[in-house]
Amino acid sequence: MTWWILGLKNIKKNQGSYAVFKMEHEATQLENQHVHSVYESTASYFNDLQSKAWPRVRQFLLEQKPGSLIADIGCGTGKYLNINSQVFNLGCDYCEPLIKIARKKGCEVSVCDNLNLPFRDQCFNAIISIGVIHHFSTKQRRIKAIKEMARVLISGGQIMIYVWAMEQKNRRFEKQDVFVPWNRDLCSRLLSESNQSGHKSDLEHTVKKHPQQPVGSECSYPINRTQELDTKSSHSTDHCLAKTCCMKMSEEEENRFYSALGKSFRSWFFSRSLDESTLRKQTEKMKSLKNVGEWANSTISIQPSRHCSLDLGHRGPLLKEQSLDDDEVFMENASLKKPQWMTASGVIRDLNGEHHGVVQSKNEETSFLSGPVENRDNNCTYSKDEDGKSTTSKLFQRTSTTDSTDSILDEAMAVGDQVVDILDTKAFMRYYHVFREGELCCLLEENVPELHIISSCYDHGNWCIIAEKIAK
Amino acid sequence: MKLLTHNMLTSHVRGVRPGGGFPLRIQATEVKVNNVDFNQEFVARMIPKVEWGALLEAAESLGHLSDLPHQLPPEYENNEDFLRKVHHVLLEVEVMEGILKCPDSGREFPITKGIPNMLLSEEEET
Repeated sequence: MTWWILGLKNIKKNQGSYAVFKMEHEATQLENQHVHSVYESTASYFNDLQSKAWPRVRQFLLEQKPGSLIADIGCGTGKYLNINSQVFNLGCDYCEPLIKIARKKGCEVSVCDNLNLPFRDQCFNAIISIGVIHHFSTKQRRIKAIKEMARVLISGGQIMIYVWAMEQKNRRFEKQDVFVPWNRDLCSRLLSESNQSGHKSDLEHTVKKHPQQPVGSECSYPINRTQELDTKSSHSTDHCLAKTCCMKMSEEEENRFYSALGKSFRSWFFSRSLDESTLRKQTEKMKSLKNVGEWANSTISIQPSRHCSLDLGHRGPLLKEQSLDDDEVFMENASLKKPQWMTASGVIRDLNGEHHGVVQSKNEETSFLSGPVENRDNNCTYSKDEDGKSTTSKLFQRTSTTDSTDSILDEAMAVGDQVVDILDTKAFMRYYHVFREGELCCLLEENVPELHIISSCYDHGNWCIIAEKIAK
Repeated sequence: MKLLTHNMLTSHVRGVRPGGGFPLRIQATEVKVNNVDFNQEFVARMIPKVEWGALLEAAESLGHLSDLPHQLPPEYENNEDFLRKVHHVLLEVEVMEGILKCPDSGREFPITKGIPNMLLSEEEET
């Protein structure tokens, strides 16, 4: 047992303000080490990437009235700060190196903490929070971050929030609290493969420009060998390499990709949630890892899958409990009965490793994503029972995205056999709490009554909501 | 840091009275003036969002008060002369280096290369 787990057990015993304080301290430490430090260390890499804006976010920004004041909380290098020139865009981020990059682009930015926004009440017409809330390590902090943004939002103003989804296109995270490795060597490997194929990418250029800088990227996805480029794709490259991840895979690459999945999943490290409420008896297998920080050593565990209870609005979980090998971190084993949302779009491998159902066709996407999203019913019954299963009776449908880009998660998958070894070393581990379907909405409904949810959808592997500040 | 941004910023140190952290006092060591395209409608729409007194105070502390009126003129939306002055103060004047000081607690927030750093230490957080 590590000191950390013992610490949490003590917290459970000693309910009270000290315990709460200690939890906050743990949370802060976790985030310092596995969010802030990582972004600071890898900031220079972001500078070189061509960052494209996600279409929905672009649309949200462009729909704001001229003369609006818009805040991007967690703006990073300022990707969204130059979209709409008719409004005043203010960017905030905790990471000073990223803010400096944004500043050089001429953006108006400041270094701020989402949990303590240095703004007076009700000053912004709109706020975006893209890929930020999932970095907070406790439920209370996630709530506080959202409430802070609601506080500085004008009545009637809208906020758009994007968080990583637990449920990804071909698979889902096994647990919600994840460390995602970031590997600088991987990038050069990808480059050399890309060279072989004779296919130049922007990435290649940028990395060559700065050979000395850490060029780690958590994403590693098959290099395109075909000419086709999904030109409609545009999505955040804060987590991935711009163009190549949108490319279609050749069949050979797809096979390599999926054969590597099993091995590479050892690299996904799952932490226990810091939330007290999720402390429960679990069987765990702790694996020690080389060159991982002290914190990570004590919290990392690779969880064999025990639950998968994604509910699409049907009663009860669609998957029964399955036990999987340690390597099968994701519910991708073809022998499992797949939930509907996966089969609709998903890739089903037969024993030969051939794919049935191309993931990236538009039709597939549409069938999976069944129309416009409405939030018809405010009776949110998302809840976690004793075993950590979650059910929701919310009727969430997903809107179709016209491009078939894989999610951030897919892009983080490793390719090739050697990759696992690389990922074990020299890794910057970023902490994420990935969200289940319905979780973000429930979080708002139960804790942030000042925000009224307007719409909700699944987009590029994220859960996205738009909410409006209720007028007093 | 533009003065429009400054107009939104407040100190949030633990213990500060409600509203006591606004407006932050500017002590600038380097101020820059840029040319920013004038958009009349844009400026007119910004004015209702601005705390006028705080803007005047900030402009004065930087020596850019010029002849901004103490009160908002009626029907300012069509007053181009007035709007141009507001435009200048809100968007063209930038504090590149300096300090923002909380009027209540005295806590100082640095501005470096035009970027205010509003982070608090753990002890100061609410």
